[in-house]
Amino acid sequence: MANYFNTLPLREQLAQLAKCRFMDMSEFADGVEALKGKKMVVIGCGAQGLNQGLNLRDSGLDVSYALRPEAIEQKRQSWKNATENGFTVGTYEELIPTADVVLNLTPDKQHTSVVKAVMPLMKEGACLSYSHGFNIVEEGMQIRDDLTVIMVAPKCPGSEVRAEYVRGFGVPTLIAVHEDNDPKGEGLALAKAYAVGTGGHKAGVLMSSFIAEVKSDLMGEQTILCGMLQTGSILCFDKMVEEGIDAGYASKLIQYGWETITEALKYGGVTNMLDRLSNPAKIKAFDLAEELKQIMRPLYNKHQDDIMDGTFSRVMMEDWANDDANLLKWRAETAETNFEKTPAGDVEISEQEFFDKGILMVAMVKAGVELAFETMTAAGIIAESAYYESLHETPLIANTIARKKLYEMNATISDTAEYGCYLYNHACVPLLADFMKGIKTDVIGKGLSVEDNGVDNARLIEVNAALRSHPVEAVGAVLRGHMADMKKIV
Amino acid sequence: MDFRICLENLSVNFDERFHLNNIDWTIEPSQHWVITGTNGSGKSALAAVLAGVGEIESGQLSGLPSRVGLVSFEAQAELIAKELKKDDADIMDVIAIGTPVQEMIFENCADPELAAELVEKFGLSHLLDRAFRKLSTGETRKVMLIRALSSKPDLLILDEPFDGLDADTLAMLQQHLASIIDTTPMVMVLNRFDEMPSFITHVAYLEKDGHDGGTLAFKVDRNDESAFAELYQLLHLKTTDLQVPETDPASKLPALDPQQPLVKLTDATIKYGDTVIVDKLNWTIESGKHWQLSGPNGSGKTGVLSLITGDHPQCYVNDIFVFGFQRGNGESIWQIKQFIGYVSTALQWEYRVSVSCKNVIISGFYDSIGMYTKSTDNQKKIADEWLALLGMSDRADQPFNKLSYGDQRLLLIARAMVKHPPLLILDEPCLGLDDMNRQLVLALIEKICAGKETTVLYVNHHAEDQIAGIEHYLALEKNA
Repeated sequence: MANYFNTLPLREQLAQLAKCRFMDMSEFADGVEALKGKKMVVIGCGAQGLNQGLNLRDSGLDVSYALRPEAIEQKRQSWKNATENGFTVGTYEELIPTADVVLNLTPDKQHTSVVKAVMPLMKEGACLSYSHGFNIVEEGMQIRDDLTVIMVAPKCPGSEVRAEYVRGFGVPTLIAVHEDNDPKGEGLALAKAYAVGTGGHKAGVLMSSFIAEVKSDLMGEQTILCGMLQTGSILCFDKMVEEGIDAGYASKLIQYGWETITEALKYGGVTNMLDRLSNPAKIKAFDLAEELKQIMRPLYNKHQDDIMDGTFSRVMMEDWANDDANLLKWRAETAETNFEKTPAGDVEISEQEFFDKGILMVAMVKAGVELAFETMTAAGIIAESAYYESLHETPLIANTIARKKLYEMNATISDTAEYGCYLYNHACVPLLADFMKGIKTDVIGKGLSVEDNGVDNARLIEVNAALRSHPVEAVGAVLRGHMADMKKIV
Repeated sequence: MDFRICLENLSVNFDERFHLNNIDWTIEPSQHWVITGTNGSGKSALAAVLAGVGEIESGQLSGLPSRVGLVSFEAQAELIAKELKKDDADIMDVIAIGTPVQEMIFENCADPELAAELVEKFGLSHLLDRAFRKLSTGETRKVMLIRALSSKPDLLILDEPFDGLDADTLAMLQQHLASIIDTTPMVMVLNRFDEMPSFITHVAYLEKDGHDGGTLAFKVDRNDESAFAELYQLLHLKTTDLQVPETDPASKLPALDPQQPLVKLTDATIKYGDTVIVDKLNWTIESGKHWQLSGPNGSGKTGVLSLITGDHPQCYVNDIFVFGFQRGNGESIWQIKQFIGYVSTALQWEYRVSVSCKNVIISGFYDSIGMYTKSTDNQKKIADEWLALLGMSDRADQPFNKLSYGDQRLLLIARAMVKHPPLLILDEPCLGLDDMNRQLVLALIEKICAGKETTVLYVNHHAEDQIAGIEHYLALEKNA
């Protein structure tokens, strides 16, 4: 199979990358009508598969689960998830031929084998739905001409997808139609109805393309979302211990620090995250971030280039073919880092203290978010996509580190994201070696020891203006505004 | 025990949202206290002070023992929230299981032998491997109690320990507490005078002090009979002239066929794996016939209710007819929920979004947790009427999650009633309310029962909370 993106002419590549539009509520007036009475068969009953199925059924749609015979015979967790919730469960052979829509909600790595097994069983003119486009875009999977291919991707963990639906709301969702496979021109109607069925339309739907989704998703997860947090954790921890700070304290500051500082990011972007610092600390963080951006920009460019020309996916798939040798090796190495092995100490750290003593961490998040956003948009990805795949998802990943450190982060993200994260980390740690030599505990571990909080007016104005005028802040303000319009927080 | 706890002119700040002011209180060794008072007067807060919660602003607090056992709804909710948070672990595709009961009870347990004995007595043995967050309300409460009792505390603080327990468990717990009075001083928060154990020696009565504060108004020795009776009276203040606000004409529901029952369950069954919780239940609820549902913890009351509300996933494999829909034929749960008003402890735990008190009431028109649609002027007006009825007008724009547990419950009851639903499901609506508010709520329910619009389905453990107008009873048994 050839990389699909690389088969397209440049004009078409750019057009696909630039697709991302925030849809208006009025476009969902038909509700779930396009799927009413149709048979939806879900493949995969993990957190996404189960929770999306529960929502779709509660929206009045006909949902059942196709599992592999082993999963049924051995009554595996996926079988239990589906049957305890009162769903019909059957084998591919039993259910797929009856399906009007097949929802492929398995992990990326299984897509090729799943789709190959499913496609011959699908009936003429049915629809195949993905929640991630890697298989189509990077692996170049060719889907039968008569089948409609769409993507519906809720931008939250499966449990949130369910919890928000039950509250009467939903989670932001990305939809796309694979234009090469839309023989009846019904792809968009089906994708919209699917988004309504999961409640996504209430929280906002982005109309994108398979290509924009894949290229921005890969970039975000490798760099700012997972890679930067992993590299930052390791470097900040080692620096603090080297400077004589208690290891338990250092471990706690980092483990919970990402979550705390990115919570500020979630509410008010990079600006609000830096506004949580004192004026001298803010200027310090700003300067550090500028330096970091300069050092790391070539690395971000390289990641984006490798993603765009297919190098990344090719190399990763070679590792798949090699029994994940690199992935498993790097996973083991991560478990051996000092940060990972040092439990968080039994010390109180107040919410504000995470900011005051984690100035470098704030700088790293700022640099990572802005670089990822700048690199993506420079590569032709539209600002809305770039925002969701950088700033928007950072707090979600930070939450996993708060739970059980890097292990938890890497266990809960996809193998694709994990692989990319290690690639980034291996390049970034040595890249920042010189920079880290100049770092002291004033920016990580102890905080600034200034006599007073006075700063130069002109410099502060300059920094504030630079923060607020960054393009990720402009698009972020608009998109967060859309969300707040719908989700009234009083 | 040889300590004396002294609170001298003590003022305590709880994150600026609540203040206990000028508390003077001495707990002598051998005394056992009950704290009571109106909703929002700081009963739970005062109990929590003894567990080291809150920031002391002035005055003295001395003599607190190091090991304090605390059981409260707040602590329970916090534990549940902590467990639920683990759920978010599946950024991609992993189902979180949660901490098993076994671990909850025996990890860091000071007296495993006692804990094991209590597990047996509380009838939790078969649940040891179950995830803590999968337990029912009553079951989680029992786990909390076992944890506190087996921690060998120097002081035991029990905030509403008896609410949510069935009669047998309650008797067993009272007996156990009576057996440790010589070694363990106790402070209990109780909303019900009639549940006060005989070993209680003193009562502390709190009153509101300003809009976000409370203070200790009376301390009564149980032997002082007249003072005790007055206190009782105070708590039983009768409410007068309740007028249920009208509903919103613009939010009118689709008409139901009066010939058909509201609900008809045929051979309804709930099971997990091989464990059958509800076995072939047949139940029809006709419009205008009010029901009371009872049964011990774990008998499946909440399960049956959620079959009706559509919240139980197994409602799709049962024969259920509700509000004109035979379930599983393309209807959405929102088409079902529009006919139902609902209150339960679980709803209160789930209502963790940040909205104003007024919007909590208005969300009843939309069956949502939180508000995601713009409300109309008329809906706001109706919400104001409800707030006035509850005596909470001054809190219309305050965030719901900053209110006391009891005040939150009152608002959720108003939310359930706001649209005058054809079916009003009240799952232990008085849990956690003080006597005065309990009376208010019961009076409200009676008013609703007397009207023709709404059929009431009422779930309660407490036999004395009977409602005039309810004439039909369904008692569920626990499946062996």
